Amino acid sequence: MTRRSVAASGGLALAAVLLVGLIGRGAAAQQPPESVAYCLTCHEDRDLSLKLKDGSSMSLYVDPREFVRSVHGTQLICTDCHARYDQNHPSGVTFPSKRAYVTGAYETCKKCHFDTYTRTLESVHYELLKGGLDAAPVCTDCHGAHNIQNPHAKRAMVSRSCATCHVAVYQKYSHSVHGKALVEEDNQDVPACASCHTHHQIQQPGTTRFRLNSPDICIRCHGDQRLMSKYGISTTVAQTYLSDFHGVTASLTRGAPEARQQVVVTCVDCHGAHDIASPKLKGKEAMKTAVAATCAKCHKGASPAFPAAWLSHYEPSLRHAPLVFLVDLAYRIFIPFVVIGLVLHLLLQVFRMSAGR
Amino acid sequence: MREGEADGFVVRFSFWARFQHAVIILLFGLLVLTGMPQKWPYVEASRWVIEHLGGIFVVRWLHRAAGIAFSALLVTHLAVAIGGVMTRRTQPAMLLSRKDFRDAIDNLRYYVGYIEVPPKFGRYDYRQKFEYWGLVFGALIMVLSGFILYFPIFVSRVLPAELIPAAKVMHSYEALLAFLIVLIWHMAGAHLTPESFPMDTSIFTGKIRKEKLRREHTLEYEDRFGGQ
Repeated sequence: MTRRSVAASGGLALAAVLLVGLIGRGAAAQQPPESVAYCLTCHEDRDLSLKLKDGSSMSLYVDPREFVRSVHGTQLICTDCHARYDQNHPSGVTFPSKRAYVTGAYETCKKCHFDTYTRTLESVHYELLKGGLDAAPVCTDCHGAHNIQNPHAKRAMVSRSCATCHVAVYQKYSHSVHGKALVEEDNQDVPACASCHTHHQIQQPGTTRFRLNSPDICIRCHGDQRLMSKYGISTTVAQTYLSDFHGVTASLTRGAPEARQQVVVTCVDCHGAHDIASPKLKGKEAMKTAVAATCAKCHKGASPAFPAAWLSHYEPSLRHAPLVFLVDLAYRIFIPFVVIGLVLHLLLQVFRMSAGR
Repeated sequence: MREGEADGFVVRFSFWARFQHAVIILLFGLLVLTGMPQKWPYVEASRWVIEHLGGIFVVRWLHRAAGIAFSALLVTHLAVAIGGVMTRRTQPAMLLSRKDFRDAIDNLRYYVGYIEVPPKFGRYDYRQKFEYWGLVFGALIMVLSGFILYFPIFVSRVLPAELIPAAKVMHSYEALLAFLIVLIWHMAGAHLTPESFPMDTSIFTGKIRKEKLRREHTLEYEDRFGGQ
């Protein structure tokens, strides 16, 4: 089907829905367009099903109200996606299993969502699918099929779809400071799964590259002054990490080949990843313990005093790290004093040379 | 001294002094080149330098190697200097005296026109002594703070761990100060003043024109060749 005819039939469907909506308001809520209605003469039957080769049966029932409420409800008709069935239907064809049908049929999405589809080809999920893991998710597993909703408006919904497979991780997440806010308050600022792992081009999170890139993910929000002021969180956390030895290593080697990267401490090592808790609620002592444990992972033989070398995201001041503050202050005064003195001395010399002779 | 005198030159610097100066040029240059990009790692120019030297790990390795060599030079220099003075083989010509402070004031008075004759200087004038002691104390600070940063685990076992970030601030600022002094003071003194333009070569050749010695280090000249 050409793009033009998709648009044309889409327009027709839209007109039909509007017309039906206008006439039938109140009585029969929303009705699908006419061509859809034709398919529904059979597929509205809750008992309609197909016998599959593995012995199970696949329901062929489509809830018309659910489809009309979906983002495609006013845009597409059945044959836009189910293109092979517009003639000679039912043909009696069957499939090895339900999963075989789903993984075979999802590619229909790429007809419109081509850029998104190609991005999924570079994802860890596609790698798994290609490697023969049937359970690896395809478009419809996360977005649904006949009931697709706008994923930007329903962020919690997409995260719940991750939970289908990643149960333990989702459990941890939903108890974290971010997850609670999303699940319980429908907060739109906190990160959902895809905010950190991306949507379609999802990468393997265990790699050194992912680890070294991870501070950037956190800093996207935690470096945003306006967003953080809403929650009374300081944005110096970003700057203090980036200017630290480890922050420099992470930032400067993340683009390098794997062999030239080194595992260094990043945000998640002290704060956790899926189980992030508010450091304020966790308390100073608990955070100190977490930091000490993190240091000891790489710095064998570090004394219990060693973590004090890290200033816990504080800018040096008389209260926090007075020694660092005073050294800094002394040089801020001393350097201009010396440099201005030397320059004045030179200028006087030049003055004497030019005027005195 | 004898062969130089014939064409108007006399010996000013020993081989050891010239050797140290050459090594300092090399090490200071390498330390600045590998240290500055670490001080400002997010500046585009730093990224360029780091990339072209082979990445941050190579840069850090070079910096530490140069730092160890620099430390060795500092220790040797101090040992030779102190040993030389103690065995009375060399004169402690770099030591500060009350005359240096008087010279500094007099020289400034001469610059602004209060007095018509500049003070007479010995083997090293007060500007050279300022730079020398600046280098020695600066080097001590750099070496100490450098080793604190090199062995943070060990340091935290014997001293408060807050020393480590303090050493980082110190190392970073002291380096900047040293760089600025070399850039402004040393380059101006050794290259841009009318007496030495375009370049004072005595630290490389070891020789100085007799006439120049008489003008710039009058007291030493009078000591060696008699007053005039």
